[in-house]
Amino acid sequence: MKQKKEEVHSLPFFGIPRLLPFIRKYHKRILLMVSLGLVSSLIDAVSPLYNRFAIDHFVANDTLEGLPLFIALYVGMLTLYVVDNFFTTYICGQVEMNVDRDLRNQAFKHLQELSFSYFNQNNVGYIHARVMSDTGKIGMLVAWRLMDIIWHGSYVIFVLVMMFVLNAKLALFVALLLPPVILLIAFFQKKLVHWNRRVREINSNITSNYNEGITGARAIKTLVIEKRIGRDFAKESEEMRKAGLRTTHYSSMFAAIVTMMGSLALAVVLWRGGVLTRDGLLLLGTLSAFLTYALNLMEPIQWLIMTISELISVQVNIERLTNLLETKSDVTDREDVIAKYGDSFHPKRENWETLDGDVEFRDVSFHYPDGEEMVLEHFNLKVPSGSSVAIVGETGAGKSTLVNLLCRFFEPTEGSVLIDGRDAKDRSQLWLHSHLGYVLQTPWLFSGSVRDNLRYGKPDASDEEIWNALKLVSADGIVRRMEKGLDSAVGEGGDMLSTGEKQLLSFARALLADPRLLVLDEATASIDTVTERAIQNAIATVTRGRTSFVIAHRLSTIVDSDVILMVHEGKIIEQGTHEELLAKKGAYYRLYSRQYEELAYQQ
Amino acid sequence: MFKSCKRYFFLGVVFSLFAAFLDMINPKVVQYTVDCVLGTDGTLPDFVASLIEKTGGVSFLRSHLYLIALLVVVIALLAALFRYLYRMCNIFGTERLIKRLRDRLFDHIQRLPFSWYNANHTGDIIQRCTSDVETVRNFLSEQMTALFRIGLLIVMAMFFMIRIDGRLAFVSGVFIPVVILYSLFFHNRIGNAFQKADEEEGLLSAIAQENLTGVRVVRAFGREIYERERFEKQNDGYTRMWIRLMGWLSAFWCSNDFITGLQIMLVTVFGAVFCVHGELSVGAYIAFVSYNGMLAWPVRELGRVISDMSRVGVSVKRIRYILDSEPENAGDDKDSAPLSGDIVFDHVSFAYEKDTKVLEDVSFTLKQGQTLGILGGTGAGKSTLMYLLERLYELPEDCGRITIGGRDIRDIPLPVLRSHIGLVLQESFLFSRTLAENIAITQEGEPDMDAVKQAAGTADLTETIERFSDGYETFVGERGVTLSGGQKQSTAIAQLLVKNPPVMIFDDSLSAVDMETDARIRSALKERTADATMILISHRITTLMQADRILVLDHGHVAEIGSHEELLKKNGIYKHIYDIQVDQK
Repeated sequence: MKQKKEEVHSLPFFGIPRLLPFIRKYHKRILLMVSLGLVSSLIDAVSPLYNRFAIDHFVANDTLEGLPLFIALYVGMLTLYVVDNFFTTYICGQVEMNVDRDLRNQAFKHLQELSFSYFNQNNVGYIHARVMSDTGKIGMLVAWRLMDIIWHGSYVIFVLVMMFVLNAKLALFVALLLPPVILLIAFFQKKLVHWNRRVREINSNITSNYNEGITGARAIKTLVIEKRIGRDFAKESEEMRKAGLRTTHYSSMFAAIVTMMGSLALAVVLWRGGVLTRDGLLLLGTLSAFLTYALNLMEPIQWLIMTISELISVQVNIERLTNLLETKSDVTDREDVIAKYGDSFHPKRENWETLDGDVEFRDVSFHYPDGEEMVLEHFNLKVPSGSSVAIVGETGAGKSTLVNLLCRFFEPTEGSVLIDGRDAKDRSQLWLHSHLGYVLQTPWLFSGSVRDNLRYGKPDASDEEIWNALKLVSADGIVRRMEKGLDSAVGEGGDMLSTGEKQLLSFARALLADPRLLVLDEATASIDTVTERAIQNAIATVTRGRTSFVIAHRLSTIVDSDVILMVHEGKIIEQGTHEELLAKKGAYYRLYSRQYEELAYQQ
Repeated sequence: MFKSCKRYFFLGVVFSLFAAFLDMINPKVVQYTVDCVLGTDGTLPDFVASLIEKTGGVSFLRSHLYLIALLVVVIALLAALFRYLYRMCNIFGTERLIKRLRDRLFDHIQRLPFSWYNANHTGDIIQRCTSDVETVRNFLSEQMTALFRIGLLIVMAMFFMIRIDGRLAFVSGVFIPVVILYSLFFHNRIGNAFQKADEEEGLLSAIAQENLTGVRVVRAFGREIYERERFEKQNDGYTRMWIRLMGWLSAFWCSNDFITGLQIMLVTVFGAVFCVHGELSVGAYIAFVSYNGMLAWPVRELGRVISDMSRVGVSVKRIRYILDSEPENAGDDKDSAPLSGDIVFDHVSFAYEKDTKVLEDVSFTLKQGQTLGILGGTGAGKSTLMYLLERLYELPEDCGRITIGGRDIRDIPLPVLRSHIGLVLQESFLFSRTLAENIAITQEGEPDMDAVKQAAGTADLTETIERFSDGYETFVGERGVTLSGGQKQSTAIAQLLVKNPPVMIFDDSLSAVDMETDARIRSALKERTADATMILISHRITTLMQADRILVLDHGHVAEIGSHEELLKKNGIYKHIYDIQVDQK
């Protein structure tokens, strides 16, 4: 499995155009939110004028005339402001969460249709982060970051306009401060972004260190390497400490710079404004309003710059998520097939034919999408309904390839797989999978009860059917021994059960669905011999009348198969019944005798 | 742990005191400038007046206003410096303390008994070690001193405000407890909702995780529709919950804005009235408005800070739970006398949970240098036997004895015991390091490549490793290349060979490799470890038959014991299984 290296590209308009399909749905609400936001910052920008009026009118003229109107106006404005803000933030939250949800749903749905080559090339953690965390960041972006720009951007503009209207000369002095302020803030912001990223990296290292320390506890104890592991961890936590100090250093400098700049603006106003006031060119109230503006101007500028750097960093998330959504599945159903049989989410079961179980590989050539080497070349095999095929060979020899093609997890590069005489591509994937029973080498159970898991392939199975399936694979004893029987929880991924127990349950799960095609992918590797023998008998029972593919490295399991395929280094090198292959005295013969050589030597 | 870092926090608080005080000066400067330099209706305190005299008098300042501006800048610079120092002191103490906490947690977790890991969820422990530690970190670096700092700010601002005008200060001050209580009340109430929303997110995340991990099962059973419905339902519920929360949050913010707005209005109106009545100078009025403005945010924050503090209590408790868990009894670390001799199980019985005995009255002797094979069904207690020998689980007092060379293993220090006995597990574990580092994990420092290569050769790994483009430097483990089950098991065997303990246990550790590889590894092992004591647990008769003695476990009892030939003659379980495996037409 390889992880694709991510490069951070600069996308046009920060990648936002790629999100348009998801935002468009909420354009009315966004428009409303933006206009309400503009009103709110206008009020913010205007409010120091009240104080100015109080000083220049009431105090300067020594009069209380118009005070009730003043109060009424103020309260009216305040109420408008509060109600306006309530709706802005509420709608903003709605937009965020709705976009979030839509993105997550879309990503999840898309993943249900992507082919296995995607899952082979990207690990679960990576894909999971796309669904759960990229979506959240993008939701934040289109709602809160947008509002940040609207609020703070328009506030800065309104304040500048107000200042120029009040006194252009004084306003000019304040405005001259802005370019250096912006440069300084941007510089520290950049540093801060760098160190924040570093902290996140180390943090995830620390988390995986803990994870390793806990999940690997048994290995660590038996190897007696506690000290070494502990020392390595201490190195990491020391890195974290240093990075934490660095980050705080920059963020404190950052905060100090912003307040310093506020004070600088205040000083400039006090000096130049003081001169104007002294000379009678500026009223005291206006000076007071300027003092407020000067102090309040810096913080929104800081926010604006932070938002822009946020926009830049979210580009990666946008790119990753949209790449996922744009990834095409290697295995897709044709238009006409979907029209007739339905897609994965809207099956038209009424048009589905029954599946009898004839399988044919006709002139199949295949290489994996992430590889060059041909794994199969012009391979032909006819498997009549009801017969059994065994695939044997060394670990890592590519035994699963045939099964992957049969299940349409991958599509042949050339040639075709025929089911009941028709190309598998002529029917929908869901149709095929609904007739399939698949027991995996690494058994996977979903958290939930034993019953939930067994019913996975047949949601309406009765308890009686469940017990029958369990008995078939000799797993009824295991479930009976559990405290709550079928209601017992199996834990995350079935972790509360042993590997052997998981295998038995996943076997029962496959049988319960009563599939026409049965695939056993080293399904009995971790089961003891007596149980395995019991299962073998069960296999004999359940494969009767079904087409089955069995991958095994214990040869005793498969000697009765109708066809045995011997795989070596990804290629099928021998093919025939047990007797035929033994007679051939080839690779199968060698493998088979190896198992009994030592026994014979003893006897 | 807190004590050693106390001085940093104390120093931080002192710096924050200076910073807050300097912040209080600027409005005063503005006040005096407006009243005495620009206007004439103010009175100056004596020391300010004398200070002005020294610089050249009011009229001099009036024509050199930039001096005042300079003063403002200097004060601001000093305030910024102290604020920086305050935060750095704080973070220095915090990071130091947190590093120690992290290290201690990690070390402690390594020393906990194995049963502890089974009783506690991995995800939960990690959560405690990361999120909860982060909560404590935030508390130390922000909340703990914020409480003090905000309190200080309120007291100082109130002091200056009262000095300007007591009545106006009362109008302003009345709102403080109201806002704090309101915010405290709200944050307490909303805290539960946040937790609930976090839990819902956890569930949603788990559904996605399970779906992705089990994608083969989902596809093979054609259950895409069910999965999608399940996800969308949870997603919808979670979204709705958050939107409702956002509604509450907006309502809170806005009602708070309203309260603050009213307060500002009252101050403005009363201030104006007092000014008109000549009871307040314009400069004092402007200064008062500044002080009042300084308080608005911190007061609102105070409620949040206080309610967050209750969360720290919970986190500390959750961390304490780990640190208070009883570690393994490692024994006397000075006692490092090497072990030798026969391994004896003497009437050993064991149960993980009460009433369900896994082992009952198991007795056998393994002579030094001999090989013991163990055969048994799923759940027969084979692995338990080995866990007891390694003391991954402790054998209780009255449940028999396990001895090595006559010494009860309960009296042997753990490092000595575990260095003596090497165990290759059924499910092997790879560390997030390179292959070479994994194989040589028991060696200190840089891996000794000769030993690594030799071990890899014996474990039949050489070919696999050569196929990787980075060879021995290939990164494996959670975030590296994924190895197959068989390759992992081979790596674990190589690991054991580098460790080279006198006793080696292979717990079904070749189950994932095919017969041919199995045979190859075993014969290589035999050559290399001729004098080692070995225990082989396996389902494969071909593996077991070479052992000097074979123990057959049946539901926790010793059913049979003897050599391959002896057991075949006995016609018991072993013979039965032998027949199944040899059964050929």
